[in-house]
Amino acid sequence: MVFLTPLFLLGLLAALVPIAIHLIRKEKPPKLLFSTIRFLKKTSKKLVLFQQLQQILLLLLRSALIILLVIAFARPLVNQAVARLMDADPQSAVILLDVSMSMQYADTFDVAKESVLDILTSMTSGDEVALIAFSNSAEIVREFTTDIDSLSSFVADMDQAGFGSTQYLPNLRLADQLLETSRFENRAVYLVSDFQASASSETNDGWKLAPGVSFTGVDVGEESSLNLALTDLRAPEQLLEDASGQKILARVRSTGTSYLETGDVTLVINDQIIDRQTVDLSDQSEAVVTFDADFVGQGSYTGEVRVSGDSFAVDNVNYFTVDVLPKIRVLLVNGEASDNWFDDEGHWFGLAVSAAIPSPFELETIEPLALSAGALRQTDVAVLLNVGSLSGGQAEALTDYVRQGGSVLFAPADRVQANSFNTLFADITPALIQRQGASRDDYLVIADFDRRHPILRPLASEWSARFENYWSLEAVAGADVLMQFDSSEPALVERAVGAGTTLLFASSLDLEWNNLALQGLFLPFVHETLRHLAQAQEVRRSFEIGTSFTLAGNGPAGSDISALDVNGEPLEFIGDNFTVTARQPGFIKAMIDGNPLTYSINTLAGESNLAKAPVSNLYDRIINPDTSPIKSRQVRTEQLVAELERPQRMWWWILCLVALLILVESVVANRTYR
Amino acid sequence: MSDSANFLDPTVLAGLDNLELRARVAVEGFVSGLHKSPHRGFSVEFNDYRHYHTGDDMRHVDWKLYARSEKLYIKQYEDETNVRCMIVLDTSASMSYTSGGVSKLNYGITLASALAYFIMQQRDAVGLITFDEQMNEYLPAKCRKPHLMHILRTLARVKAGKKTNAVKPLTDLAATLNKKSMVILISDMLEDEKKVIATLQNLRAMGNDVIAFQLLDDAELNFPFNEASEFVDMENNESYITSPAAIRDAYLENLNEFLTYCKKQCQSSGVDYCLMNTSQPLDAALSAYMAKRAKSF
Repeated sequence: MVFLTPLFLLGLLAALVPIAIHLIRKEKPPKLLFSTIRFLKKTSKKLVLFQQLQQILLLLLRSALIILLVIAFARPLVNQAVARLMDADPQSAVILLDVSMSMQYADTFDVAKESVLDILTSMTSGDEVALIAFSNSAEIVREFTTDIDSLSSFVADMDQAGFGSTQYLPNLRLADQLLETSRFENRAVYLVSDFQASASSETNDGWKLAPGVSFTGVDVGEESSLNLALTDLRAPEQLLEDASGQKILARVRSTGTSYLETGDVTLVINDQIIDRQTVDLSDQSEAVVTFDADFVGQGSYTGEVRVSGDSFAVDNVNYFTVDVLPKIRVLLVNGEASDNWFDDEGHWFGLAVSAAIPSPFELETIEPLALSAGALRQTDVAVLLNVGSLSGGQAEALTDYVRQGGSVLFAPADRVQANSFNTLFADITPALIQRQGASRDDYLVIADFDRRHPILRPLASEWSARFENYWSLEAVAGADVLMQFDSSEPALVERAVGAGTTLLFASSLDLEWNNLALQGLFLPFVHETLRHLAQAQEVRRSFEIGTSFTLAGNGPAGSDISALDVNGEPLEFIGDNFTVTARQPGFIKAMIDGNPLTYSINTLAGESNLAKAPVSNLYDRIINPDTSPIKSRQVRTEQLVAELERPQRMWWWILCLVALLILVESVVANRTYR
Repeated sequence: MSDSANFLDPTVLAGLDNLELRARVAVEGFVSGLHKSPHRGFSVEFNDYRHYHTGDDMRHVDWKLYARSEKLYIKQYEDETNVRCMIVLDTSASMSYTSGGVSKLNYGITLASALAYFIMQQRDAVGLITFDEQMNEYLPAKCRKPHLMHILRTLARVKAGKKTNAVKPLTDLAATLNKKSMVILISDMLEDEKKVIATLQNLRAMGNDVIAFQLLDDAELNFPFNEASEFVDMENNESYITSPAAIRDAYLENLNEFLTYCKKQCQSSGVDYCLMNTSQPLDAALSAYMAKRAKSF
């Protein structure tokens, strides 16, 4: 037992005060003449003895009170705690346990757990240990704790490694940061991993562990390994109807320290084996296998390519999805149809729409008089090229069509009357037509456009078209100007109307007013415009482990979305955040607004490479030559104070005892003469 | 009644130096506070006249003589009773104890004076014995007014003595009593109560009326002390150090046992027993005497 403030022990002399008072009061009490003491003498002798005992007890209580108070203020400390803090050299250690996919190879992870348990066993009482399970991301399983037993039981109960990739440096940095808050100067990092060569080659910006932090790498990887892996898969993600003879390519690679010479590769689509091929790797480390597959009907297909021939099955499968989409129905209302292609307003637009083989569009051309509500119901996008006159009923049908979700592209030219256009389409036009702008001596070019817009995002290149004639537009409220001429006047304006969308192009889509149709951007411009208006955006459906993606990519906010993970368990979402992080390979099946969507999740190819790198490579890169430990004085002081405070909480107990004794003293004193 | 109660307050009475006055105030205060009694007087034979004094009962005015002489005279009567009353007063050291008010001895003197006065008013003979460990004064019972003054002067001279021994004076008294008498013992009886009560029982057995007034101070009855003290016995100077708070219950238990014994023994033998707290008025004592007197005669 030691005391932090031993000077207070001088106060023990005060314990003599009650004794002195007792001795002083030992002199005879005051005399009191009384008629007779016969009734006093008849009282029990035990009472008198008890009084004397009470006096002695009171004396002892008061002395004990003073002694305990003095001891409490002297702040006693248990010797063992002091010895541990002052004499021992306790260690703060962070154990990094690799839980990447490669750790699933054979019994590597079990060996890793044993190694961690060995490290924990080597810890002495008082050491503090933190555990980080890491792959490409890190999870601090346990903050610094001195409860080694609890940590050991947790490690022993760990199930298996995950599917992430190995990244050492970010996690070593995390361990280093964690050690900055440790209480001891003897700091160490233990890295238990299979030390994949691919992970050890991470670029380093010169970062090293803090001075004085020791590093111990525990290599638990197999010295020799056999593995076949599917390192790449190429399959179409979206197809149009009747897409037969599609090629699916799979890259098979022998990634172990020893090569496998052969393996079987199987293509499965919608749970049916389509094809099986044997790959020969006797004279090469990898080979590409090509499958032919037919996707006839419209819908979503799920497929997988499997390779067999090794015992490490985790990387032997690659998943994919193929969506076979219907063609986009385009209704072209040609306001200046002509047998002479040169004069035909829809000639160049038609060429652009039909250019791709197979074309994703189904084009129907009609004259303005044939435009009707019935015709509009059969189409996804209506395109009005230089349509000068429509009846009120036609205009109303077009307005209703847009409001109910249809899309319209206006490209007015010389047959259009500004007033008539503005009147007929007042409810749906993105801009009011003001006047024709024409210049034979000069021309306008596209000077600026919205590079983030879905139409123009893939068209971010030089627009060299010359516009000799155009309509001067004034965008209506709520409309977005997507393109501008170099005169700052709008060239393309978009407006959302009801559930539909309208686009107004300020010039024609033939060669009469400009030469856009002759430009290389014309075809993708038309395609992207029609795709955008049909709202048939391509959605990415294939992801790798560790990637986060949002299921509500196409849906409006507040979509009705549910999903099952690769094990068929429902995924939990918070509010409108439908973000999913890919953690296991397989299919995530989602239901978005009643439409089923399947996402494929695949392993990272790098994790299949089981080639090893020596621990020393990593050691040399991260160990700090400066061995003087950084003394985080503030942290250390605070923690030392806390550590010192804990064992000396004894003084609290002493004060509680004092309070109790005061109560006892009050009771006894009240029952004893003063 | 409230005025008379004030007069009977022992501290008020103690403030009166003249013992005769003290006795008269006590008796007259007591008498004037009584309700109308069926006992109109004990002596009915005319004896003498005296001049009327303010306060005299108008019923005793001789109206015929007034008609003749136009002066108010009060008729006085001759005592016909043969009552002889002996007041035996304990003057031992323990009787001088007081906790701040009137000492037991002073209270006893007042009581004895009042009784003597009262008895003399009834035309009974009264005598006095004072004693501590021996008989100090003996005045035989007489019925003359000068005798009353003699008794009062004797009482006025009384000083506290030493130890108590009530047996001897009472035994001596019993030997001198040759006809039925009334014996009034005024004492704290803090001695060998068995012997004292046995003596009283003998007196009673001889056909005498015996009244025992046991005087105790309020502090003796309630033992209100808290501070540890050395209690010194006033009669034998023995001391006892104790904490009153610790032994209070035991003390009161012992005292009650003592008092209960005294009361039961007296009652069982026909001795009238009256415990008196010296902080209480005297009327209880006078009432007890009157009740006894009325019952006997």
